[in-house]
Amino acid sequence: MTTASSPAIKQWLVMPSQVALLCVVWLAASHVSQKLIPAVPAGVIGMALTLGALAMGWLPLNWCRRGARWLLAEMLLFFIPAVVAVVNYSDLMLDAGWKIMVVIVLSTALVMTATSLAVDACYKLEIVVRRRFRHLHSEA
Amino acid sequence: METLIAIICFVVTVALYFVVKRLYKRFHVWWLSPLFAVPVVLVAGVLLTHVSYSTYFSETRWLSWLLGPATVAFAVPIYEQRALIRKHWFPLTAGVLVGMPVAMLSSVWLARLLGLSDLLQKSLAPRSISTPFAMAAAPSFGAEANLTAVFVVITGVCGMLIGELMISLLPLRSRLAKGALFGAAAHGAGTAKANEIGAEEGVVASLTMMFGGLATVLAAPMVGHLL
Repeated sequence: MTTASSPAIKQWLVMPSQVALLCVVWLAASHVSQKLIPAVPAGVIGMALTLGALAMGWLPLNWCRRGARWLLAEMLLFFIPAVVAVVNYSDLMLDAGWKIMVVIVLSTALVMTATSLAVDACYKLEIVVRRRFRHLHSEA
Repeated sequence: METLIAIICFVVTVALYFVVKRLYKRFHVWWLSPLFAVPVVLVAGVLLTHVSYSTYFSETRWLSWLLGPATVAFAVPIYEQRALIRKHWFPLTAGVLVGMPVAMLSSVWLARLLGLSDLLQKSLAPRSISTPFAMAAAPSFGAEANLTAVFVVITGVCGMLIGELMISLLPLRSRLAKGALFGAAAHGAGTAKANEIGAEEGVVASLTMMFGGLATVLAAPMVGHLL
């Protein structure tokens, strides 16, 4: 990557080659998942491997940062083909669609309420504990 | 001919996505959100031209395939945000441990209350986590993976649309809580929305979504037994 002659071409190739690297990790991880540990999904294995390699310093961050950023930024595109699959379930959607929508909207609102209130409460607790801890330290 | 139609589907999907994304950036109205507007146009197109979904999917599956590498890519922000995780591990853990059971149980119970079939109840259970995780968890719940994928995406769109309303209704102080709200309830789509609100919200959303997905997949065999 560092030996490319033209800097413009080099810049152009950085992101796709980093995406390719992450694809290779994904392929390796799906292989491991299928052959060795079917209980753990490939995404989890691939992420754990990458995280481990980053933490151990085997994988330099700037070998994958731009590729990762692109994949995450365009993630909505990767969801789209799965949504179009609703055409396969048109009978079901006409029949029970409104009930499914009610379940999804209500449940989503519930998850949002419960999660954010819990996080906010624990965040306040965290601040109190940290302050008291600091206080004890300064007295000792 | 089939192959040509399939390639056209792929090109149209990608082109439409980038056009709508640019329009959304410019006008910022909810119905131009790429996860809503693009599928609506594509579904209408597929129905009007009588292209079957299997033809549509034969080339666009490469886009779905990229969700795998995208899951791997989450290692990078997690690594970059390790200081934030270390500092706020307690509220982040609480968010996952509260959000995931509420998501699964409320989906199943509400579906049961409305008299939806057993298969639908189970396929709705993992709908609030990211697609690759939900597809992995679906068999343990006894769910139909393709149905689950559709519910996951509907959930994402719904979460993007009602998230800001919920934030304005709830007495939330921290950026942490706002991020976790999106990550736990609306996975990748919610994370994209949280990123629009702020960088810290975006990171917290992606962390909640990642750990929520992991926790659900790991707990799925047990939970599937209980449902």
